[in-house]
Amino acid sequence: MMGVLGRLLRRRRLEVQLDAELRDHLERQTADYVRDGLSEAEARRRAQLELGGFEQVKEACRDARGTRLVEDLGQDLRYGARVLRKSPVFTLVAALSLALGIGANTAIFTLVDSLVLRALPVRNARQLVRLEGGSWTNPIWEQIRERQHGLFDGAMACSDTRFDLSPGGESEFVQGIWASGGFFDVLGVSAILGRTFTPEDDRRDGGPEGPVAVISYAFWQRRYGGAADAVGRALVLNGVPFTVIGVTPPGFFGTTVGRSYDVAAPIGMVDRLQHGGDSQLDGRSFWWLEIFARLKPGQTLEAATQALRGVQPQIREATKRETGRPEDQADFLRDGLTLAAAANGFSEVRGRYAKPLLTLMVVVGLVLLIACANLASLQVARANARRRELSARLALGASRSRLARQLLSENLLLAVPGALLGLAFARWGSRLLVGQISGPEALVFLDLSLHYRVLAFTLAVTIGTTLLFGIVPALRAGRVPPADAIKQQGAGLAGEGTGALGGPLVVIQVALSLVLLFGAGLFVRTFTRLAHLDLGLDDTPLLLVSLDAQRSVVPASGRAALYARAQEAVRALPGVAGAAVSAIAPLSGMGWKTRFQVKGRPKLANRESEAWVNAVTPGFFTAYGTPLLAGRDFDRRDGMGAQAVAIVNEAFVRRFLSAENALGRQLVRESEPGLTPPPAEIVGVAKDAVYRSPREPIPPTVYLSLAQMGPDMWPFASLTLRAATGSPALLAKAVTSELATVDPRLSLSFRLLSDDLRSSLMGERLLAMLSAFFGGLALLLAGMGLYGVTSYGVSRRRTEIGVRMALGAEASGVIRLVLGQAVRLVALGLVIGTGFSLWASRFVSTLLFGLEPYDPATLAGAAAVLTAISLVAAGLPARRASQIDPAQVLREG
Amino acid sequence: MNEARTDLPQGTLDLLILKVVALEALHGYAIAQRLQKISRDVVQVQQGSLYPALHRLENRGLLTADWKLSDTGREAKFYRLTAKGRAQLGTEEANWRRLTEAIALILAAREAGA
Repeated sequence: MMGVLGRLLRRRRLEVQLDAELRDHLERQTADYVRDGLSEAEARRRAQLELGGFEQVKEACRDARGTRLVEDLGQDLRYGARVLRKSPVFTLVAALSLALGIGANTAIFTLVDSLVLRALPVRNARQLVRLEGGSWTNPIWEQIRERQHGLFDGAMACSDTRFDLSPGGESEFVQGIWASGGFFDVLGVSAILGRTFTPEDDRRDGGPEGPVAVISYAFWQRRYGGAADAVGRALVLNGVPFTVIGVTPPGFFGTTVGRSYDVAAPIGMVDRLQHGGDSQLDGRSFWWLEIFARLKPGQTLEAATQALRGVQPQIREATKRETGRPEDQADFLRDGLTLAAAANGFSEVRGRYAKPLLTLMVVVGLVLLIACANLASLQVARANARRRELSARLALGASRSRLARQLLSENLLLAVPGALLGLAFARWGSRLLVGQISGPEALVFLDLSLHYRVLAFTLAVTIGTTLLFGIVPALRAGRVPPADAIKQQGAGLAGEGTGALGGPLVVIQVALSLVLLFGAGLFVRTFTRLAHLDLGLDDTPLLLVSLDAQRSVVPASGRAALYARAQEAVRALPGVAGAAVSAIAPLSGMGWKTRFQVKGRPKLANRESEAWVNAVTPGFFTAYGTPLLAGRDFDRRDGMGAQAVAIVNEAFVRRFLSAENALGRQLVRESEPGLTPPPAEIVGVAKDAVYRSPREPIPPTVYLSLAQMGPDMWPFASLTLRAATGSPALLAKAVTSELATVDPRLSLSFRLLSDDLRSSLMGERLLAMLSAFFGGLALLLAGMGLYGVTSYGVSRRRTEIGVRMALGAEASGVIRLVLGQAVRLVALGLVIGTGFSLWASRFVSTLLFGLEPYDPATLAGAAAVLTAISLVAAGLPARRASQIDPAQVLREG
Repeated sequence: MNEARTDLPQGTLDLLILKVVALEALHGYAIAQRLQKISRDVVQVQQGSLYPALHRLENRGLLTADWKLSDTGREAKFYRLTAKGRAQLGTEEANWRRLTEAIALILAAREAGA
């Protein structure tokens, strides 16, 4: 190895010596021949003849040196750089389109990797399994906890939450985890400072050291500046003092991908942090925990599920609800517990964005392919233009593989800066994307640090790209017979086959562009449809204030009155045009669903009888701008003790009353046996308005009077404010201080309804924006490709066209001739692209709204745009062709 | 005379070079001359392939070279055998003998049989 290196470093000296050695040989041979009686000239000629070609021998000796490949690479790169400098436009276009292509691929892959592929940074993530079927109650978890060591190599439970660090007033939320005592041990995450939880810490109301908390590395840095004495300090969560006992490593963000945590607290403390309400620890219908387990070494997923099923009857029996309908209980006992692999954690963000992201991955992959096709046809054209140079080198003794290697190293020169630029672009782009999908309520966090898998991906893409756009021209260069190429210059008549490769490349580009444009069309139309849906509310900006009464001393029965007081207080503020409180804010993603029955109407089947419910104060419909179509709004009369009342929407009337008159009907809310609330009289009918998501059809909805909710009212509510003038966000400060006078222990957080709407459509918006961007890019690249190929064809057929014109061909005929060829290519591309589009669109049908995946109008539109661009791209060179001066061409002859 | 000349069997050029250089340090032209003489003009050595062979052997560490003032008054590159080259020469000579003896035996047997 050192030898090779040494020889490389001494290269110049070796070259001089080689030359001297061979010359010495020639001198001696010549001298010998002269001595034998030959003339000086004849002797020299004989000597040279016997040695063979001077340069060839040198080449062979260099080959023998064993450093050829490296030396050549250096030489090729230097030469390549010179060639590229000579055509700066080509170089710039190529490097930039590669940077964009590689960058976009890397950016999307970074997200796919961190959201879908990457395993949790915990010990042996493959052994991690999760109890399927959503969330579980604490009694069920306690049953599993007691049995964990027999069934598995440990189990743990956790729940994402947020903690309020503020003493009152406007909340200061941090991302939290409720963690069981074994959470960190089962994951195999140990503290870098202090310690993690033990089962004792998880005892109800705190362990031997009282309430304790573990914090994340990021929180440690942010809040404590990374101070070593952070452990042992006090941290107030929801008004309860905790002691920080440990810090987790920087790479650990919790088990929910798409989220990071700041503070973890033991599950056993949950009841202490909520005032006045049912126990979350004992509630058998409080489904809030995720349950994970670690498989024993050698234990399969199936075996673990079987083991769990073995004790299922005991677990279910011990945790079933005391009350409830018998058929629900039977369902509960029967429903089999199942485990699923959880190596890469669990994520709602993943469920929401995995498919759009994978779609985008395909999109950017196709864009890169188009860019490659473009570069390949540019390279082919350049290789043709460079045939004289290449043939000259062949004639001078360069081997064909050597030429191919040289062309490939030129491509490498383009691809490597492209890749580096692409990486920078990707880092920026992936951050931007995460910023986009992050809403104010749902902060999305993904670990975007450069991971080896991302780097490997970029490297693979770069090498693949280089080969893809470089290999064909390189192979063709190897095939040029030197003598032919040197003879054949300038002129060029019809039927010459060398440019033929441009055609298929254009067809591929057109086909792929059509797929991308069609996809972009589908996603843009989906988004516009969603954005222009009639949501049943007017789009005046509204301020939403989340009220959190968990820390209030007001008992559950007084909550409705507390919310009413809050509403009254802010309504009197200057600048407030309307205010209302509701149990649920529309579009917040929260929901409350119950079975209903209308007296005197046939009973609906189980699923059919479900309707969404909201409890609202008077003024709710005015605040949201949802018109009442019949009857009246709630008012002061509709309080506790008065006749129970309800307002229903049109969808409810259609389903439950077959569009009959609704007013005055009695509505029965089905609840648990023995708890049936009194029937409510329908006093109004509201226009259909969105409940949870704009994607779903507006469901049958029942609005109950919040004042009549009594102890059913939970400790969360939403206060909606409409501003008299200007932005409602300006009201926040006044509202904060006003509500502090109502109840200083009320926690508040503010957001705008428009933000909720925006974030509920974020996936669609992102997909529409990016697919439109990349569709446009594809269109541009395809147009450039077609332009290049057509121009090249025209320049090759200059003589033919000139002769035709000299023989009387019209300019329009020439245009037809040139365009005809381009149109044939585009038409073929459109046909292939249509087939491909129709096949591929099936895979995105779940991402569409109000459109069929094979939507003909969108496909026709995409094809029309592509055709128009193609005509422009091919029309310019066609026009140039028609302006060829026959006389000049013939003189050049 | 040309017809009588035989091309070198594959791989034997290296062996001949090692043998020639084993006696004394020589420059490239002298090696070519020596090869011609030793083989009494029977074996044709393409001069074009001599130099690459020399460089290859130098690279493999079987030969080493020094630039020395020569009879022409110019510096010339003199090749000589290294210890490794001498060992290699021994092995190859032995191999060659075994091979030629075996081939001679086969040829003799065929003639006897015919």
